[in-house]
Amino acid sequence: MASAAPPPISSSLWRCPRGRVRCSAEHQGLFSRIAPVYDKLNDVLSLGQHLIWKRMSVSWTGAKRRDRVLDLCCGSGDLAFLLSQKVGPDGEVSAVDFSKDQLLIATARQDLYWKACYKNIKWIEGDALDLPFADSYFDAITVGYGLRNVLDKQKAMKEIFRILKPGSRVSMLDFNKSSSSLITQSQEWMIDNVVVPIASNYGLSKEYRYLKASIAEYLTGKELEKLAKEVGFSEAKHYEIAGGLMGNLVASR
Amino acid sequence: MPDNLPGPIARRNEGTGQAGEIMVGASRTLLLKDGGKIGRALSEFLVCPLSKQPLRRCQDSQSLISDAIGVSFPIIDGIPCLVPKDGKLLEDQDVSKIENGADPSVVHGER
Repeated sequence: MASAAPPPISSSLWRCPRGRVRCSAEHQGLFSRIAPVYDKLNDVLSLGQHLIWKRMSVSWTGAKRRDRVLDLCCGSGDLAFLLSQKVGPDGEVSAVDFSKDQLLIATARQDLYWKACYKNIKWIEGDALDLPFADSYFDAITVGYGLRNVLDKQKAMKEIFRILKPGSRVSMLDFNKSSSSLITQSQEWMIDNVVVPIASNYGLSKEYRYLKASIAEYLTGKELEKLAKEVGFSEAKHYEIAGGLMGNLVASR
Repeated sequence: MPDNLPGPIARRNEGTGQAGEIMVGASRTLLLKDGGKIGRALSEFLVCPLSKQPLRRCQDSQSLISDAIGVSFPIIDGIPCLVPKDGKLLEDQDVSKIENGADPSVVHGER
C-alpha cells in the first residue's frame, strides 16, 4: 500500500460534523491505495452502469470535435478517454488528478488499449484547489466522483469557473445526496451490504466504508446549484439519475 | 469511432501475458524518448498553479520552472507534477548543487 504523502503546502484541515479531522494527504493516500483495483470495482459494484452515467455526463458538457477540454479528478481516466473520442485528434484533453498512482494506471490503460485519438490526452498531477491553467481556457470540463472528495468545494468551484470559457459548461457526476430518506437508506444499505463486503475481498473494506460518511457530508443537488451560482455560474441544474442514487450537476459560465 | 472504454489493468498475478507487458513497456519508452517534445508542449499551455503565470521548461532537467515565484516542478514519467507541494525553490536547489561541489557561476547560469 502507498504510504500517505507529507502534508501539502496548501492543505487545509477540515473538521467534519462527527469530529474527525481530515486533510488532503489522507484522501490522496486513500485513492492511491485503491488505484490498482479501482476500475474493476467500479465495474463490479455498478454492474457496468457507471459507464452509462459517465457517457451521459460527457454529453451534458456539449463537448465537440476540436474542443479543448478538462477532466478534473480524472482518476484512472474513464471520462478523459470518453472526452478524447468526443473531441477527436484535433482536440485537446487535459486530465488532472492528485494521485500519481491513479495517473500511472491511466497511462498504462492509454498504452494498453491504444486508440489514435488518445494521443490528444495530457495527464497532469495537480490540485483541484490550485489548477495550472490560464483563465477562460477550456470549452468543457468534467468532474467524476471528485468534488465530494475535495476539502474546499467553494474554492474548487471558483477554480473551475475561472478556467472555463464564457458560455461553456462543467458537468459533475457523483453520488446523489438525496433529501429522500428512502434513497438515502438504499444507498447506505448497498454500501454496508454490497460495496464494503466486495471491497473487503480486495483488502479495501476500510477505504470503501468511508463512502457512507462522505455522501452524508456532501452537498445536496439544491446546495450544489446554489454553490455554483454563488461563484458566478449563470445557470446550474442538478439532475438525478440511476433512480436517484447518482446525480449530475451541469453549470454554465 | 467505437465509444467504449479501455478495460481495467489486469493485476500482476492474473497477467496480461508477457506480450502485453512488453507492449506497455515499449509504448511508454517511445513516449518517454519523446520527452523533449512532451516538455515543450506542456510549457506552452500549463501555468504555475500558484501565480498562474507562464512556465518554462528547464533545458537540463525534466522540469517546469515558474520564474514568477522561483519554483521548479518536476516532470516524472512524462507527467508534470504541478501540485504546489511538488514545487522546489530554485534557491534551495542552487545551494544544494554548490554544496555538492558545483561551480556557482555554472549553477546560476543554468537558470
